[in-house]
Amino acid sequence: MGAQFRTLEREARFQNPPKDKSAFPFLADAVAPHVGSFNALTEGPDGGLLNLACQDIGSKTIFDSNDPERLGNKLSIRVESVQLTKPAVPMSDKVSLNKRTYPSECRERMSTYRSRLVLKLAWSVNDGAEVSENREAGQVPIMLKSNRCHLEKLSPEELVDCKEESDEMGGYFIVNGIEKLIRMLIVQRRNHVMALIRPSFGNRGATYTKFGVQIRSVRPDQTSQTNVLHYLNDGNVTFRFSWRKSEYLVPVMMVLKALVETNDREIFDGVVGADSSNSFLTDRLELLLRTYKKYALHSKQETLAYLGDKFRVVFNATPDVSDINVGKEVLKRIVLVHLDSNADKFRMLLFMVRKLYTLVAGDCCPDNPDATQHQEVLLGGFLYGMIIKEKMEEYLQNIRLQIQSDISRGVAINFSDRKYMSRVFMRINENIGQKLQYFLSTGNLVSQSGLDLQQVSGYTVVAEKINFHRFISHFRMVHRGSFFTEMKTTTVRKLLPESWGFLCPVHTPDGSPCGLLNHLSHKCKIATEASDVSMVPKVLSALGVAPAHTFAAGPDQCCVQLDGKIIGWCTHEQGKIVADTLRFFKVDGQHGLPLDLEVGYVPPSSKGQYPGLYLFGGCARMMRPTKYLPLGKQDILGPFEQVYMNVAVTPEEIGSNIHTHVEYSPTNILSILANLTPFSDFNQSPRNMYQCQMGKQTMGTPGVGLVHRSDNKLYRLQTGQTPIVKANLYDNYGMDNFPNGMNAVVAVISYTGYDMDDAMIINKSADERGFGYGTVYKVEKVDLSQSKRRGDPITQHFGFGPDEWPEEWSEKLDSDGLPLIGVQVHEGDPICAYYDDTLGKTKVKTYHSSEPGYIESVKLLGDDNGDQEFQTISIKYRITRKTQIGDKFSSRHGQKGVCSRKWPTVDMPFSETGIQPDVIINPHAFPSRMTIGMFVESLAGKAGSLHGISQDSTPWKFSEDDTPADFFGEQLRKSGYNYHGNEPMYSGATGEELRADIYIGVVYYQRLRHMVNDKFQVRSTGPVNSLTMQPVKGRKRNGGIRVGEMERDALIGHGTAFLLQDRLLNCSDYTQTSVCRSCGSLLTTQTSVPRIGASASVRCRRCSGKLDPAEKTDSADVWEDGQGNKFVGGSNCTTVAIPFVLKYLDSELAAMGIRMRYNVEPM
Amino acid sequence: MSREGFTVPTGDLAAAAHGVVSKQVAGAGLNKNYGVKYLCPNCSFEVSLNKSDPIRCKDCGYRVLFKKRTKRMVQRNIAIPLLDSFEI
Repeated sequence: MGAQFRTLEREARFQNPPKDKSAFPFLADAVAPHVGSFNALTEGPDGGLLNLACQDIGSKTIFDSNDPERLGNKLSIRVESVQLTKPAVPMSDKVSLNKRTYPSECRERMSTYRSRLVLKLAWSVNDGAEVSENREAGQVPIMLKSNRCHLEKLSPEELVDCKEESDEMGGYFIVNGIEKLIRMLIVQRRNHVMALIRPSFGNRGATYTKFGVQIRSVRPDQTSQTNVLHYLNDGNVTFRFSWRKSEYLVPVMMVLKALVETNDREIFDGVVGADSSNSFLTDRLELLLRTYKKYALHSKQETLAYLGDKFRVVFNATPDVSDINVGKEVLKRIVLVHLDSNADKFRMLLFMVRKLYTLVAGDCCPDNPDATQHQEVLLGGFLYGMIIKEKMEEYLQNIRLQIQSDISRGVAINFSDRKYMSRVFMRINENIGQKLQYFLSTGNLVSQSGLDLQQVSGYTVVAEKINFHRFISHFRMVHRGSFFTEMKTTTVRKLLPESWGFLCPVHTPDGSPCGLLNHLSHKCKIATEASDVSMVPKVLSALGVAPAHTFAAGPDQCCVQLDGKIIGWCTHEQGKIVADTLRFFKVDGQHGLPLDLEVGYVPPSSKGQYPGLYLFGGCARMMRPTKYLPLGKQDILGPFEQVYMNVAVTPEEIGSNIHTHVEYSPTNILSILANLTPFSDFNQSPRNMYQCQMGKQTMGTPGVGLVHRSDNKLYRLQTGQTPIVKANLYDNYGMDNFPNGMNAVVAVISYTGYDMDDAMIINKSADERGFGYGTVYKVEKVDLSQSKRRGDPITQHFGFGPDEWPEEWSEKLDSDGLPLIGVQVHEGDPICAYYDDTLGKTKVKTYHSSEPGYIESVKLLGDDNGDQEFQTISIKYRITRKTQIGDKFSSRHGQKGVCSRKWPTVDMPFSETGIQPDVIINPHAFPSRMTIGMFVESLAGKAGSLHGISQDSTPWKFSEDDTPADFFGEQLRKSGYNYHGNEPMYSGATGEELRADIYIGVVYYQRLRHMVNDKFQVRSTGPVNSLTMQPVKGRKRNGGIRVGEMERDALIGHGTAFLLQDRLLNCSDYTQTSVCRSCGSLLTTQTSVPRIGASASVRCRRCSGKLDPAEKTDSADVWEDGQGNKFVGGSNCTTVAIPFVLKYLDSELAAMGIRMRYNVEPM
Repeated sequence: MSREGFTVPTGDLAAAAHGVVSKQVAGAGLNKNYGVKYLCPNCSFEVSLNKSDPIRCKDCGYRVLFKKRTKRMVQRNIAIPLLDSFEI
């Protein structure tokens, strides 16, 4: 199937947007991880993550007594449930016909798209009846198109009515008018034990070694707690966890004994199993058991009490709770929190100990935390929920603190009195919404616990709408974590084969974030809800897996785990069969197994990964579709299982008894953007990376509803076209709604010399026809209330006042003081007038940009409540950016170039059919870069335009036997053109035929947003730094460009001393100053006050003495300073030229008591 | 009068010569609208505002208003910019 233009379809869709559903379901899929994770906060089993979080927080207990002898009345308070409403106008608003707030209004008004968060607080006094009250906890920013957004289920037609794009896909927030999204973060795979060798583990203490096993347990509400087991030199094992950012170490034996009522035999068997001949293991087990004896804790209760006693303070336990209960609380909140029952935790902990010993013995290898196999994605919605949970807990703590401060201040406390409780609520900060708004607008995480994450900032990014490519890429972006950006080693950045089909190998930026900022492959999905695995244990036991409590342990047996819970044991041979059967069942849909269950069978190996059968069905996993060969049906693969599976890339390479799966398409490994690069399989790989970067910097079409957007800066290409050569995915993602470039006739020829070094010549007539014509929209917000403090009365009003003001203002401004729409404004022109009551004067704000702009629109913005006089306007300027010499263009093959000339059409070369190129590029752009894809595109584009067809440029469609050169050559031949794409051409200047045939075809060109108008910098004279008198730097401040050390070296090397002096002195801080020849001081000279009839002279204060009236002196030698003091002498001064900083240096040295002396001699 | 000295007769020629205008709009005091019309982007209702009015559509209560494009000629020297498009 070739590509099609589908022009009529598109036009029809533009005129009448679909009334049912979007024509581009792929777009909604692309942002599904974001929207799905946000939806999970409020919907799903058990009432959504927020309500699960409330349950996990539990209740806080407060006593009202100040007396240490007695406890007093007990108040238990908890958040019973959370409710998140849909965005609406404030309750006080009675005017609005439609009470809903839509995102477009927030973009226009530069406000936040948010809705009320209501906490239902329930409390009981002395364990009596529970009383509840709904508390408003501020307004929380809402993700667009989530289940809390009004746009959720709207059809494209309705979306257009709501001033959105017809295929708006949401997934981001609007905070202060800026679109923000929480970027996805790579984290350790949940509920799976990882063996690690980290030298830093050894730094924890004297006997600590580099060995450890780590598990990131995730609670049902998606918050996590990492548990680590450390191996000590002597063979002991310590359990480490961090709680509220501090780390705690507990002997693992203590945890084991506290979990269940157990004995040494049981622990020994649980770790060693049948391997009792393994003396390495038995020795260590003996030591483990023996060293624990010194604690003399024998029963579970004793151990719990011991733990409870130690952690009582840390956990803020109230005195009414017994040590044992505190101990239980510790186990519940800290140890393997993904498991409910203590028996499961106990078994899992034994498994971890065994894995640790196996690692130490060298019988298994450490797991690679940088491999996708051991990673999952932290989704924005889940992180949002984690923050809300933490803020709710903080809220309850604040209530406790408030009551405690009431106690210590002696305020009358009565928990049963509603009035008292309201007073408590009034006095604490209940605005959780504001904190979330802060999180979204800054990306900073303010947290007590750190949320088990490694970074505190950089969680959110602006969803820039420079063009659609950039916009959509934001939602597919996964970051490795800012912790890794400073790492010296490059191991984390490496592209590993494990990430095949999950992370795009091409789409990563070059430079510092390379390999850390990845993009999901376009078919990669992320689970936002846990799949139903309730039937799995039953199926497993039916398949012959022995139950978990059987006598088995160690890598010789196959441990079967489901989401980090040990289900049972079997032999490895059996494990393989179980895994295969499970896969068959789940693809076939038998026995109620979910299709997206991940069946990770790790086979036994010699010192390889620790074996077992690991099943995963939880959230946040990456998954992708492939074809399961035995059934010919779709299977969903995860990165854990993929490592041990044989997936054929193409149907041709399927080997019998080798492959179980085949890719639906080899392009599934590429991201959305990488898929759009035409014939990318013909290019050298870095060029495809560059194209992914440049596609995102293109001046394209950011959207259609630009009238209703108020972005600070928007780029728009006026003459966008659909590419003739495009991949089929281009249409699936609806890229034609947002054209990103133009088809250009490109000749590869060295023609005028103006195409050297990646420069390109643009046909002047093509330019005049609109090739590459663009516009920049800038928005300025004028807020008069910004100058006053909150609560002060309004003193400035838009419009002209009754006073006198210059008449030329009314050339640009209307009678309401706002600019006329369509007027051209230059630097310094008024853009709005306002009257200041306090001054009684009319003032104007002026336009500050050297580039003239046109007033595109003026929006009057009301305040949130809509009852104040108007104080804010937003003015949108339209700045025309026709192609200029120095503007940057690029093809879709990482071949960027700068426009060097607009060459008159008459002088351009022409072909025999009279075709003249729009763009000329130099053949030297190709040999070293090897972008053959561009040649193929040129060929395909030419053939396509000749036949009036669109060409499919999906990679990996051609082969050695079926080359694109033949395929498109044949098309060219049919329309009477040279098979190879070359054509004889004639010089436009002389009319003579050029000696070589010229490769000419049609290539899609992008105009990049880097334009000379934003970059040029020139200075002759201008502002200087007042301290050094040297020119300032920076284009904005009209500064200069530094002639640095290396430039200085070059000038010295060339012997251009005069030029050097000109740059470094004359054009910098050249100063003439006086210096005393006698004492050699720069600082002590001063100008004397001239006497009547004489002129002022320069004197050295240091070399002159006080005038002694008694002594007779020569009157010519006497001088007077500004204060009327008379001096004599010091006339031996002269003028020298120095750099001003020398004077500064002298003063600084003088301040330290160092005198500089200059010997001045005539040259 | 020579051709060069000719100036386009405008309404307040005297004021223009001085470059200063006073009380240009008759009675530009409080609660007086200037005859400028605004458009509600939500319901396309034409709103005229008085000074110290909140920004609200009188019809639907929307909190953003667009300034309408005036009928008044905005660009007086339209012929001149054409010249500099002939760049070399």
